Amino acid sequence: MRQQTKEEEFLDANGASCFRLLLNFVINGTSCSAVMTSLGSSSSSTTEYVVRVPKNTSKKYNIMAFNAGDKVSCSTWTQARMERDMSNRRIYGEEETQEGAAGSEFGKKQREEARRKKYGIVTKEFKVEDQPWILKVNGKAGRRFKGLKKGGVTENASYYIFTQSADGAFEAFPVHSWYNFTPQAKHRTLTAEEAEEEWGRRNKVVNHFSIMLQRRLRGQERGEEEEEEGEKGGKKKKKKEGRGGDLRIHDLEDDLEMSSDESDGSNGDDDEAKSKAKKEKGPKGKGKKKKKKDSDLEGFEDSDDGDFEGLEVDYMSDESSSEEEQQEKTKHNKGEDVPKGIDEMSESEEESEEENKNEEDGKEEEEEEDGKKTPVQVEKKKKKDSSGESDSSEDSDIEGEAASALFMKKRTPPKRGGGRGSAGSSRTGSRPGTPSIDNAATSNTLRAAANKLEQGKRQTTVPSTETPAAKRLKMEPSPQSSSGKSTPQPVSGKSTPSSSDVLLTEDAVRRYLIRKPMTTKDLLKKFQTKRTGLSSEQTVNVLAQILKRLNPERKNINDKMHFYLTE
Amino acid sequence: MSDKGQDVDLTRAKQNTGVWLVKVPKYLSQQWAKASGRGEVGKLKIGKAQGKTAVSFSLNEELTVVHCSGEKVSSVRSPREHPFTIQTVGGQSLAVFTETSDKLALEGMVVQRAECRPAVTESYMKLKKLQIEESTKPLRLSQKLEKAVTTNYKPVSNHSHNVEYEKKKKEEGKRARADKQKVLEMLFSAFEKHQYYNIRDLVDITKQPVIYLKEILREIGVYNSRGPHKSTWELKPEYRHYEEGQEDEEEKME
Repeated sequence: MRQQTKEEEFLDANGASCFRLLLNFVINGTSCSAVMTSLGSSSSSTTEYVVRVPKNTSKKYNIMAFNAGDKVSCSTWTQARMERDMSNRRIYGEEETQEGAAGSEFGKKQREEARRKKYGIVTKEFKVEDQPWILKVNGKAGRRFKGLKKGGVTENASYYIFTQSADGAFEAFPVHSWYNFTPQAKHRTLTAEEAEEEWGRRNKVVNHFSIMLQRRLRGQERGEEEEEEGEKGGKKKKKKEGRGGDLRIHDLEDDLEMSSDESDGSNGDDDEAKSKAKKEKGPKGKGKKKKKKDSDLEGFEDSDDGDFEGLEVDYMSDESSSEEEQQEKTKHNKGEDVPKGIDEMSESEEESEEENKNEEDGKEEEEEEDGKKTPVQVEKKKKKDSSGESDSSEDSDIEGEAASALFMKKRTPPKRGGGRGSAGSSRTGSRPGTPSIDNAATSNTLRAAANKLEQGKRQTTVPSTETPAAKRLKMEPSPQSSSGKSTPQPVSGKSTPSSSDVLLTEDAVRRYLIRKPMTTKDLLKKFQTKRTGLSSEQTVNVLAQILKRLNPERKNINDKMHFYLTE
Repeated sequence: MSDKGQDVDLTRAKQNTGVWLVKVPKYLSQQWAKASGRGEVGKLKIGKAQGKTAVSFSLNEELTVVHCSGEKVSSVRSPREHPFTIQTVGGQSLAVFTETSDKLALEGMVVQRAECRPAVTESYMKLKKLQIEESTKPLRLSQKLEKAVTTNYKPVSNHSHNVEYEKKKKEEGKRARADKQKVLEMLFSAFEKHQYYNIRDLVDITKQPVIYLKEILREIGVYNSRGPHKSTWELKPEYRHYEEGQEDEEEKME
């Protein structure tokens, strides 16, 4: 009894659980008194325990170390399996590829060994003892851990495990090795190459949830391609569900992915995801979903505001759905990323694709990243692409796109993503006729607009290349040719100069030429379009006429033709 | 997949046994290894003084004798008292599992970490000094010899090994040409085992003179002068049956 009170004191004073455990043993044990000797003293009380180091060495004690953050509690484990990870065997232990009979040489092994000795090549042995452990807790659905051996544990100091035995004595067992166990991710992760890819696009991609989704779909496609189509019909669904179920919710991303994958969801996103999931399964049953999927989804990236400034690009969207999308989106708020992403994905997945899309996508991506292509060039390229395709509606689409692009510069990525080759025909088959009708209606007006723009651009490019030549002969025909088209304008321009500081008049030109000899370029600079209110074309024409009238003298200075007048 | 693994025995883990992980100095563990009988090495004193727990280990008398390499025996004794410093397990959760030749078992969780420190005494300092001296000794030592070593490499008219070799060669004699059929049999059985052979190895196997052997080989085999199996002989394609295994080569022979 006296001892017991002292132990109770202990319990009260020390919160340490170990002591509680210890003393539980002691109290419940039988011959505790024989072992324990309590040295009585008023201020402190000590209890002594015998320490034993058992001699039998058959059992090897090892440490299994988990990170505190993983929140591992051994008490929750119902079942655990552990095995060595032998995956490094082929690296270290050179496997015999073939022994005997075909392909082998007599005495090859010995020769190889002798050779290695000669060159002093020392290969590390594959020691099973040093291999990592793989721990699986609670069966297939449970957690997995990998345990790597920590080196240098037994070099300078020895660790001992002190356990209390039934008779109250401590037993100390030496620790043989230490393994650090880390949990293994069950959710899909990106491989190194994929991660590098995504890193390259980190500034553009806003919808991060789609990254893993694409990857999963890509994997599924590959799996489908490998196996026969017909066989997988029903299994595909299960596979997909299974994968969704296997996902562990580790963070928000996975969370949303999971919810988007499963058919049951409660929030708005999930509704769209539901429809998308269903639609996915539909076309999957039909045919093969190609790798296009990822490129398709790639297209739905948001670009920053400034990215497409000044870039008048036309995008080929041979499928009217994308046009429809754009028109919708001009009205919709462009701010939301996630719903838009899912929307786009759902619509894109309804389309069936062909294999050349990937190439096109690659091409288009390049274009976008190049940034500064003149519209003419871009259009020419697109025309080349389109010529390969059979669908006639595509041409209209292209030109339609040209103009629509000018309306909505920001829509370029989705349009580009949507723009695909001859699938337009097949896709229109799968959808009702309305999109194509819309397309036709808008394309007429858009086409007209596009044509006008083209013409305008062509006109500007032609004279601008010629003026630097500064030969009078050349100048004469060109103003004549262009003046035919634009005669009304310069006249009006001259007669009504609108709020300009400088007037392009004969007097002005004369003044300049008297002062000093000038080239045509210099003269043009003097009469800038912004200040005279005339277009560059008009300026050129007018200037040409003025010079004709003035008939200045010419002098070659620095290989350039200068005009000048003498008073 | 998980059939290869061993089931971990979780019975003791379920009892929530708590264990201590104690770091023990090397010399102490060496002393413990010398323990006799049941393995009793000392006593652990757990005390409470002014609200703090003090744990100390005291080594048994007989184990304090330190055997050190060299002349002095038992002149230095290891200290007896070793206070433990208690540490928290903290950022790691440690479990203990045991491995026997056939079984894996989870023993429990570590609840306390401790370090066993020797009480700093004169004797401990001396012990440490000895240890340091020992460890600083280089592994290799240069020693001056007074006399040159004359026991090795005495001149010999003919080495014993050489003599044996020559005798063996003599008794073997020159290789005799055996029956062609027999040689072919030997060759085919050899080529069954391996596909490529060096001429030297074939000579060894068949014990035939080289020229004769080469003639026979030229009939049934082909010589690879280039390629992965350089300078080796192999059977002609029509004589090879490697995939099917054994076939009657006798039929193939002429």
